Amino acid sequence: MGSKLKFNRIGWQFVLLPSAFILLFSFYPMFQSLMLSFQSGKGNVTSFAGLDNYVRLFSDPMFKQAVLNTLLYLIIQVPIMLFLGLIVAYFLNMPNLRFKGFYRTAIFLPCVTSLVSYAVLFKSIFAVDGILNQMLMGIHLIDGPIAWLMDPMWARVVIIAAITWRWTGYNMIFYLSAMQNIDPSVYEAASIDGASKTRQFFSITVPLLKPIILFTAIISTNGTLQLFDEVVNITNGGPGNSTMTISQYIYNLSFVYTPNFGYAATVSYAIVIIVAVLAFIQFKIGGEKK
Amino acid sequence: MLTMIGSILAACGSSEPSTSKSEGEASGSGKKVVAWAWDPSFNGAALKIAEEIYKKDHPDFQLEVVDMAKADLEQKLNTNLAAGVKDGLPDIILVNDPNVQKYVTAYPNTFADFTGKIDYSQFSPYKADAVKVDGKMYGVPFDIGVTGMFYRTDYLEQAGYSAADLQNITWDKYIEIGKAVKEKTGKYMSTINPNDEALTSILLQSGGSWYITADNKGNFVDNPVMAETLRVYKAIADSGIAKPVTGWSEFVGSFNAGDVATVVSGVWQIASIMDAKDQSGKWAVAPIPRLNINGGVNASNEGGSSWFVLDGSANKDTAIDFLAKTIGSSSEFYERFLNENGGVGSFIPSFSSEAYKQTSAFFSGQAIYSDFTKWSTEVPAITLGMYTQEAKDALKNELPNILNGADLTKSLANIQQLYNQQVQ
Amino acid sequence: MKKLGTMGIHLFLIGASVISLFPFVWMLIGMTNSSSDIVKGKFSFGSSLGDNWSKLLDTTSLGTAFTNSVVIALIGTIFTLILSSMAGYGFEIYRSRGKDRLFGLLMLSMMMPFAAVMIPLFKLFSQLSMLNTPAAVILPTITTAFMIFFFVQNTKSFPRELLQAGRIDGLGEWQLFMRVYMPTMKPTYAAAAIITFMNYWNNFLWPLIALQTPDKKTLPLVVSSLASSYNPDYGIIMVSIVVTTLPTLVIFFLLQKQFVQGMLGSVK
Repeated sequence: MGSKLKFNRIGWQFVLLPSAFILLFSFYPMFQSLMLSFQSGKGNVTSFAGLDNYVRLFSDPMFKQAVLNTLLYLIIQVPIMLFLGLIVAYFLNMPNLRFKGFYRTAIFLPCVTSLVSYAVLFKSIFAVDGILNQMLMGIHLIDGPIAWLMDPMWARVVIIAAITWRWTGYNMIFYLSAMQNIDPSVYEAASIDGASKTRQFFSITVPLLKPIILFTAIISTNGTLQLFDEVVNITNGGPGNSTMTISQYIYNLSFVYTPNFGYAATVSYAIVIIVAVLAFIQFKIGGEKK
Repeated sequence: MLTMIGSILAACGSSEPSTSKSEGEASGSGKKVVAWAWDPSFNGAALKIAEEIYKKDHPDFQLEVVDMAKADLEQKLNTNLAAGVKDGLPDIILVNDPNVQKYVTAYPNTFADFTGKIDYSQFSPYKADAVKVDGKMYGVPFDIGVTGMFYRTDYLEQAGYSAADLQNITWDKYIEIGKAVKEKTGKYMSTINPNDEALTSILLQSGGSWYITADNKGNFVDNPVMAETLRVYKAIADSGIAKPVTGWSEFVGSFNAGDVATVVSGVWQIASIMDAKDQSGKWAVAPIPRLNINGGVNASNEGGSSWFVLDGSANKDTAIDFLAKTIGSSSEFYERFLNENGGVGSFIPSFSSEAYKQTSAFFSGQAIYSDFTKWSTEVPAITLGMYTQEAKDALKNELPNILNGADLTKSLANIQQLYNQQVQ
Repeated sequence: MKKLGTMGIHLFLIGASVISLFPFVWMLIGMTNSSSDIVKGKFSFGSSLGDNWSKLLDTTSLGTAFTNSVVIALIGTIFTLILSSMAGYGFEIYRSRGKDRLFGLLMLSMMMPFAAVMIPLFKLFSQLSMLNTPAAVILPTITTAFMIFFFVQNTKSFPRELLQAGRIDGLGEWQLFMRVYMPTMKPTYAAAAIITFMNYWNNFLWPLIALQTPDKKTLPLVVSSLASSYNPDYGIIMVSIVVTTLPTLVIFFLLQKQFVQGMLGSVK
């Protein structure tokens, strides 16, 4: 009994310092932000507003649009990206595949390509007279050019394509490193038993990778719900406000419009609540039972 | 382990403890003034010229220009002011004109009062108006964004139009000409970017109106200029004469590549147009088209900034004096700025100088600066108010519907409502 | 049949690689062209690399910014790896209800958009008189819930028998961490190192606010100011982007072998 307590206490030694950093540099500002969310005004001229900001959320059409867009990205983009990342990692983990190093590097490259440059590039690829339209018309898939970035639906497709392009390699790395913990002999035994590679993927790899899949699911959910860079640089929230995300709205409220930091803080907490709820659900579904 | 971490961090942290405090303080014998600005080849260069001029009478004056992107500057400024952090702020800051009212109202007692420090009557009235808030003047007007219609003489000629045909036209005539250009040369007349409100801003100001009224109410309903602006915008979009673009580089690319016959933009666009060296001699400039309503003129403005001084800075008086004696009153400054960086200011006395009368080979020998400064006197003065960005976004939201043929009156009512929602 | 499968896999990966590489190739091409050629969409190599490069060096203090970025990224990554893995190890190996609750709390910190905490954080560092230092840039993310979470999840598959064996051999708990856990988890550390380095290197918003003088600027800040002009020079911008992209690539090259070497003897 005594040694269990001691064991537990040693565990705290490992955890205390890192946690202290987070408490100081994340929670302290977060708390101040919470206090700010009860204020309203312009810049430094603010006054106490109680829960008015929170009430305002419910009748704010821009906020609603932003939430809608963000959730849309989440539902479509995250599963696609995680699945792609898993498959790619699985292939790149196969012992006998050649050129693995090249593929690995190539697919990781989008993660480090500068946002500014790939935003400009995506804009030009998806331009009305851009390469993609030319190709699609060339193979007769479409009759006339699609105005990708001028149409609300297609613009969202472009954003989803951009995020997937950028972050699939990121998730691939997590999966690849986690696959190192799977003993190759497990696969060998399964092959001897006659299981196909596909069967092995679904019956061996995916279950063993559950903790990491849960990790990437939560991280990607968090990342997509806080999506900012891509929408600002590729579509700037447009056309209309059809691609705008919650993070962009927060940024606008703070730095583009007449600054209302209090309301911006309120909208931020809206994100925190949404992410927390989703993370909780994901943990319950994909977490372990102890 | 813990002490190791602690000591390394302490070393990192204490590397330059005094740096953040020395900003804006007189360093030693000289008085160093720090300025924040974007675009070192334009705004930064202007400050350097001003520094040289000022140093003639104040040899121990020193200026440090810190350059950063415009959006970044706005973020830093807002963050510093909102956090109440004084150190790290510069003495002089460049402010985009639409942001003036916003900053002065949101951060009271932050910007130095310039009333009486310079003679504002020597500046284009609409530029002077832009730095006036509640009767006080807050900065020095700087570069001007007076608009012109840059056009390709060869394309227009091919379509059967000479320079005389392009003077003082309406937008409807512009569209008519555009169709002829498209037919006879295959070239677009201009670009259009539904995500960018530059064109609607130009149109509105040319009619003496703006997205918001002087008392910051939405100006979308019961506003004939707004209705006409959107009618023209839609007409251009529908006519097929405008090439859709989605970003700045695409926009610049279209005239650099010779895809468009005209560019309606501020005078500062000259630099980008002249980047296509093979097009020298093929361009000229005409006044912009006007709205076909009462009060519509062939002149407007796009962009432009002013220099502000921070009230809490230690070198405030030096900074004010520096700006007042150079950008605030020196014709020499403006002549050099034009000659060396192609920058056009709003200082009226400089308009009659040799520099401003020069002709440009690139623009078919036209004395373009004389033309631009003449037009600058015609630009209607408007109040930019505090909520320009909110209003523009409200409009942007409804623009796709308008372009798709939605009823204009209903759309305007929607925009007004959205704006009111945003401005609480 | 097997050959077809492999062929299919290769085709898929080649397709994925081409799509992934395309923008990077375009960047390399862009860096050799002049600004007006780039906006016109020229897709062939030009001869302006020298010009762009020297203009870049003239108009910016690229070397200083590069050094600043390297210092912050390297120091930051080392500390973050140590602290986050410590916490991940602690939360997972010494699991308890109290620690689980703390972990849940820490996770909340990931969910707050940075724009909202930026101003209070800035005020805090101003009060600590630490603005305009590399430490100010590193400290807010010296440990992140994200990294702790990563180590927690990866530690779930860490064989506890190794720790038992180590205890029998007389190793203390901290020694177990350093001599048994860390070496075994090399692939995890490698992946974490790449991601963390990348985050520090590309970090933009916080360094923009926390760093105040030009001599402290990091590379992303330099690139950003280049793009903000009435007349941007896209050639220079391309070069600066390539320079900014290379170090993370180098780190990736150096470390990627680590997370594909498999179980070569260490655990057995």
